[in-house]
Amino acid sequence: MENRNARTEAEECLAGYGERVAENQRRVFHIAYGILGNRADAEDVAQETFLQAYRKYSSLRAADKFRAWVNRIAFRLALNRQRGMRRRLTRETGWHAQGTGDSVDGMSDAEKGVLVERLRNEIEELPEKLRSVLQLSIVEDMDAADVGVVLGIPAGTVRSRLHTARKLLLEAMK
Amino acid sequence: MKNNCRKWKNELLEAALTGATAGGLEEHLLTCAGCAEELAELRAKRERLNALLPLVALGAEPAAGFGARVMAAAESAEETRRGRAWRVWGWSGAIAVMATTIVVGLALQWRTVSTVPESELAGAKKLAKWRAPSDVLLETPGREILWKTPKLGESYLHVSEKSNEEE
Repeated sequence: MENRNARTEAEECLAGYGERVAENQRRVFHIAYGILGNRADAEDVAQETFLQAYRKYSSLRAADKFRAWVNRIAFRLALNRQRGMRRRLTRETGWHAQGTGDSVDGMSDAEKGVLVERLRNEIEELPEKLRSVLQLSIVEDMDAADVGVVLGIPAGTVRSRLHTARKLLLEAMK
Repeated sequence: MKNNCRKWKNELLEAALTGATAGGLEEHLLTCAGCAEELAELRAKRERLNALLPLVALGAEPAAGFGARVMAAAESAEETRRGRAWRVWGWSGAIAVMATTIVVGLALQWRTVSTVPESELAGAKKLAKWRAPSDVLLETPGREILWKTPKLGESYLHVSEKSNEEE
């Protein structure tokens, strides 16, 4: 009897958890992808994030608590993995070499891919404080407050660092 | 950019990012074609940056079955956890029973030792000091014949004669 109750409780817990995963999986994946730039690694990190979250699910039932928690864990796990596989783009691709105009609309996917890789490298060159803010801010559905919660800084600081980061990137694109 | 326009570098970047010109930059742009061109280039690059930045994070989507895979992994982890919990409880129970048995056994032994009456204890001490009677006390006449088996043709009388001579 007790065993059956425990099983039912576990099944309910899993069902509720499934909803949470569905709500957060895309964002969590993009946080990891933004840092790692590799789909397989990003999926691994996202899965590990949700498994860790499942272990603590009893204390993370509230949607906003869960959201903040998985954002933070995904970010940390992705950074840990990145440290292990620091990759550098060896191809030197000038910002001016691509396409005829400054718009990316007319570019092929391959050209865009090269530019995105180049941009990734530029982002990696940023000071860590600015890089973290930028990597989280470019994720859809992450506003300054969300980023601030992950990094433990006020939303105003997030905005200021984001502006500085964009300025440095713009300068690097020259 | 001309050398004497370097001081406008930061203002140009700010103007490109925010769209607002400040600190006299507007007047300078009216008189400096180089800086005006630089600003136009920076604005175009900002557009490109705005278009490319989201692709850094949103360049890929999780695979179609990702959510199902996560749930399968969570279920599997739950099963493992449950199995581990039962094992832990089983081992804990066995250890608890063993520990209880040892404690009860030691307690009973201690109780037995501590409840032996003084008189019995004295008797036990005496008994411990007791030694068996010596061989001298147990000597019997003619016991030598038991020590040595007679050879063929010999008789036990020889033994007894010997003992008579000694007497």
